[in-house]
Formats: sequence, C-alpha cells, structure tokens
Amino acid sequence: MNNSANENLRELLAGFMDESAARQTAEDIEKGEEILGANQAPQPDERVLAEVKKNVVAALRRRRTVVFQRRILGAAVAAAIVVVSVLTLIRYGDQTNSQQTRVVAKSVSIPSRVWEGADDADVTVLKAEIDNIQSELSGAQSDDGGNTSTAVGDLETELIEINGDMWKG
Amino acid sequence: MAQLDIDRVIIGCNKGDEGCFTQLVDMYGKRCFGYFYRLTGNRDLSEELLSELFVKLVEKISTYRGGSFDGWIFTMASHIFHDHLRFKQRQTRLLDEHSRRIRSQSAGIASGYDGDADKMQIVLGELDSDVRELVMMRFYSQMSFKEIAESRREPIGTILSKVHRGLKRLRELMG
Repeated sequence: MNNSANENLRELLAGFMDESAARQTAEDIEKGEEILGANQAPQPDERVLAEVKKNVVAALRRRRTVVFQRRILGAAVAAAIVVVSVLTLIRYGDQTNSQQTRVVAKSVSIPSRVWEGADDADVTVLKAEIDNIQSELSGAQSDDGGNTSTAVGDLETELIEINGDMWKG
Repeated sequence: MAQLDIDRVIIGCNKGDEGCFTQLVDMYGKRCFGYFYRLTGNRDLSEELLSELFVKLVEKISTYRGGSFDGWIFTMASHIFHDHLRFKQRQTRLLDEHSRRIRSQSAGIASGYDGDADKMQIVLGELDSDVRELVMMRFYSQMSFKEIAESRREPIGTILSKVHRGLKRLRELMG
C-alpha cells in the first residue's frame, strides 16, 4: 500500500525545488499535520454508527431482493418465450389438437408472489408488460377466427423484445 | 489496520456478507465522519453524509478493483460531499439568487457550522475550499500525495503546493 506513512516527503519535494526549500516545505507539512492530529474532529456517537450499520444492512437486503426479482423475471420471460414457441409449433403442426394447446398455454402464468413488495421501476414496468401479454395470450387462445397464428406470432416477437430489454438492464 | 484484514473484509462484502459491511463501518466510520465534519462543520449533516457513503458502498463495492482501499473510499466520500455542495447550491439559487450564492461561495460552508465549533473548525473556514478539502483528504485518508494526485487527476506538484499552502496557513492561524 502506498500511503502517506510510506512516503518520503523530502525526496518527493526535492523533485520540484532545491534541497533547503524542500526541507522547509516538508517541515511545514509535517508540523501542520501534527496540529491537525492534536485537534481531532469530534467522534460520532455509537448511536450514529449503529444507525449507519442498520441502514447498510437494509440497503444490502433491498439489493438482494432486486437481484432475486430480476433473476426470477428473466427466468419467467425465458419460460414464456419457450411456451409461446411451443404453442406456435403446436398451432402450425396440429390445428386440431386444441386441448394440448390449452394445457401448454396455462403454464405461462407467473406466480404473483414474485412481484409482491417490488419497488424497482423496471421490474414493475416489465411486470405490466408480461401481464398484458398474458391477457392477450388468453384472448388468442379463445379466439376461433383465422388470425390466431398471427396473434401468437406477434406475442412471441413482443416477448423476445422484452427479454432483450431485460438483459440490457 | 492490516491490508490482509481489509482484503478479507472486502471479499466478504463482495459476497454480500452483512457482518463484513458492519466491520467496514467500524474500520472507517470514525475517520470518514471526521472528514465530513471538518468539511461541513455540522454534526447532523456529517451523520447524514456518513450514512449516505456507506449505503452507496453497498452498491459500489463490486467496482473496487484493488489498490488503496483508503483512497477508493475517500474518493467516494469526496464525491458525496461534492454532490451535497451541488444540491445545496441549487437550493440556494432557488431561495435567493444573489445574496445566498455569494455567501456560499465566499464563506464556503461555514454558514452551516455547529454552535460549538472548535478553533480548528473556524481556522479551516479561513482556507480556500479546494485547499481545505485537499488537506482533509490527505489527513483523514492517509493517502500519499501520489495517490491523491491520481484520485483528483491533478499534477502531483499542484497537490503538493496546495497542501503546503493550506497547512502553512493553518499553522500560522493556530499558532
């Protein structure tokens, strides 16, 4: 560690001035620091340090929660993409097997407790977007018209974009 | 304080160990408080800035890339102090464009002093704000002049000259 105690002040000053000026300057600095040492600032109360520690622990727990929520969110978005992809394949592959489609689509549902207590704006915005997609997906599922495959394809694109945003932070 | 102890605590902090963070408060809390107090002259404000520093540390600890941890933490303390000054200046502008701004620039932050400020605090108020901050950085962080120069991105000759000027003046005024 290169700190003040290991520093040769006179040698350092000699690079900028002659020897006698360096000696005088070093003495001014050392005496000045001695005066500072003899007139220390007041110490913080133990109560203050305890409060700081409390705030630090709270900040640490908040950070852990946010990291956890982001991981869960990432996993949920990835799972949703897989599910929508499978759903698309099923739609294209076997138009008549609607029962199977319904079962797979249900697994898109994301546990609500993941979001409880979320105070992160990004997480909240992404949650809203996922909720929106979930409701659109339910609508698409019950849609008997000929546009179902297109709607599911759009949803898949949207989910891929959200996932991209998510990993960009 | 041994370098090995600090290294061990920092590794623990990076793993999110609460005990290691509270150990950091024990190791640096008093020195950082002294630094803030000598710059602000106000106990309540120093407590606030101290808390802000350690909360910030939780977010930033993973960005520490070795070297002098004292230098790193006091550089962060200096940024927090400057953020506070900028905030205060904005407030001042809003309250009173002319008189308040002039006061804050000429008297620095002396207007916030506690009623029981000691002689050293009053003398420090006489120093130029930049010089006062450098003197305090050097004293409380125990950084070498080389480290201070690197941290402030200023030539070492300039730092030496400012600290010398400040300490010489301080000696005269305290004498």
